[in-house]
Amino acid sequence: MTSKMARRVFVVGVGMHPFGNEGIPATDMGYVAGVAALDDAGIDFPEVGALYNGYIGGGMMTGVHMAKDLGLTGLPVTHVENASATGSSAFGEAVHAVAGGRVDVAMALGFDDMNRMAGLGRSGRSGLGAEDVMLPAAFFAMWATRRMHEVGTSVETFAAIAAKNWNHARENPMAQRRVDHEMTVEEVLASTMISYPHTSKMACAAGGGAAGAIVASEDVARRLGGPMIEVVASQQRSETYTEGHVFLGAVIGPSQMTRDTAADAYEQAGLGPRDLDMVQVHDAFPVEELVYYELLGICGDGEGDKLVASGETSLGGRIPFSTDGGLTARGHPGGPTGLAQIHETVLQLRGGAGPRQVEGARTGLCHMAGAGSVCVVHILQRA
Amino acid sequence: MLPTDPHLFRLPAEGEDRPRLLGSYAPESDLHFWPRRKRCPVTRTPVQDVELGPVGTLYAWTFLHVPRMGKVSFGDTGGYAVGQVDLPEGVRVQAPLMGSQQDWSIGDEMGLTLFPVGTDDDGQELVTFRFEVVR
Repeated sequence: MTSKMARRVFVVGVGMHPFGNEGIPATDMGYVAGVAALDDAGIDFPEVGALYNGYIGGGMMTGVHMAKDLGLTGLPVTHVENASATGSSAFGEAVHAVAGGRVDVAMALGFDDMNRMAGLGRSGRSGLGAEDVMLPAAFFAMWATRRMHEVGTSVETFAAIAAKNWNHARENPMAQRRVDHEMTVEEVLASTMISYPHTSKMACAAGGGAAGAIVASEDVARRLGGPMIEVVASQQRSETYTEGHVFLGAVIGPSQMTRDTAADAYEQAGLGPRDLDMVQVHDAFPVEELVYYELLGICGDGEGDKLVASGETSLGGRIPFSTDGGLTARGHPGGPTGLAQIHETVLQLRGGAGPRQVEGARTGLCHMAGAGSVCVVHILQRA
Repeated sequence: MLPTDPHLFRLPAEGEDRPRLLGSYAPESDLHFWPRRKRCPVTRTPVQDVELGPVGTLYAWTFLHVPRMGKVSFGDTGGYAVGQVDLPEGVRVQAPLMGSQQDWSIGDEMGLTLFPVGTDDDGQELVTFRFEVVR
């Protein structure tokens, strides 16, 4: 599982359509992100050897239909769906298509609108059965109450993580939630209670958007002449059995899944958590980001709260998390979310993230969890 | 009275005061599971049908006020609680809880109970299961 990639893979282009609630058709946003990624790479669509379209909310043929807008080149188009980790899995498929020698250039595109999707649970019996009651807000809130019980985490710590990510998004033109003032712990706590202890300003922004990335072999990347951003790890896992395993209603699998996927990624990259300059995670709720500090090895178990208090995970800190605002404020449309993390990481590693630039960033990790039990970790590094 | 999910739980039999969850036991791994498994997910060995519960310990909980990231409201119903309950067999069950958030703490003893959710097309009462604090 952790063998080196058969050949080196580089991100040569990224593009996005801003995340938001404007009601623009998802495939139109996907076209914008796709063309932006092509322009960024400096290539035309016929050079793309394979396209992986990630979406949750579209119909059976949406991915192939959407590709017709980019051009009828005959390339293979594959629909990828892995819940919240859809875009990350699509990116992983593109990486492996190049690494394995199937193609020299591959593109991953994510486009979705969370507001137009059905919720979790079985359709047609809403509210009746035991499988219909568990929503992400409740599932991760239970992580939070357990964390409060075991470690003594305060609601202010959760609010501080959310406020940090809102403030990171203020400098991101692609973000869904951009406030004109500094977000405070008090304002986060004063917002509507969704699922104790999570308030609405702690919950990820559900909206629409699109993001894409183009990966290429070393030969192609060198020919294009842009900054060499290498994918040094691409790992994906489902869950393994753990003590207290929850089979029914668990939105994602045991948190051990993140620890294991990250371990695979570190091994593949030949790197460790100390080598990272910045991290993007599935911060659908702040307890996740807090727990991922520990599961990704950034700090010891139970020490995440201190990391928040010291500001080490804020922009300007030792290891900034969710530098573009994260799911909390950049937004979480579904399919594009993981690719927005790649977009942000590539901008940062190129030194092109503007006011939110992480100084000297060379290595970044992207982590996504997906419902049903998916975990995807990529590590990107400026060569 | 009919269970909404007869593959997940059964109604109390005569002389019983609580419903039972329908699980699996794998003799080779000595592990219990809920809901029922086709085979042991750890050892891939055969499993037997068993009944679980009906009393366990509260591991985690929340009270859900506004689902769907704040975009839908329960209105007058005020929401509902959900918890994870550890059963003595080593199974963790996620299910709604009866009551409000002042009623329980992590570590409390919780018992399985029935909760009415309407009627089927023939007018038969439908019930699902929830956990309640055992006093």
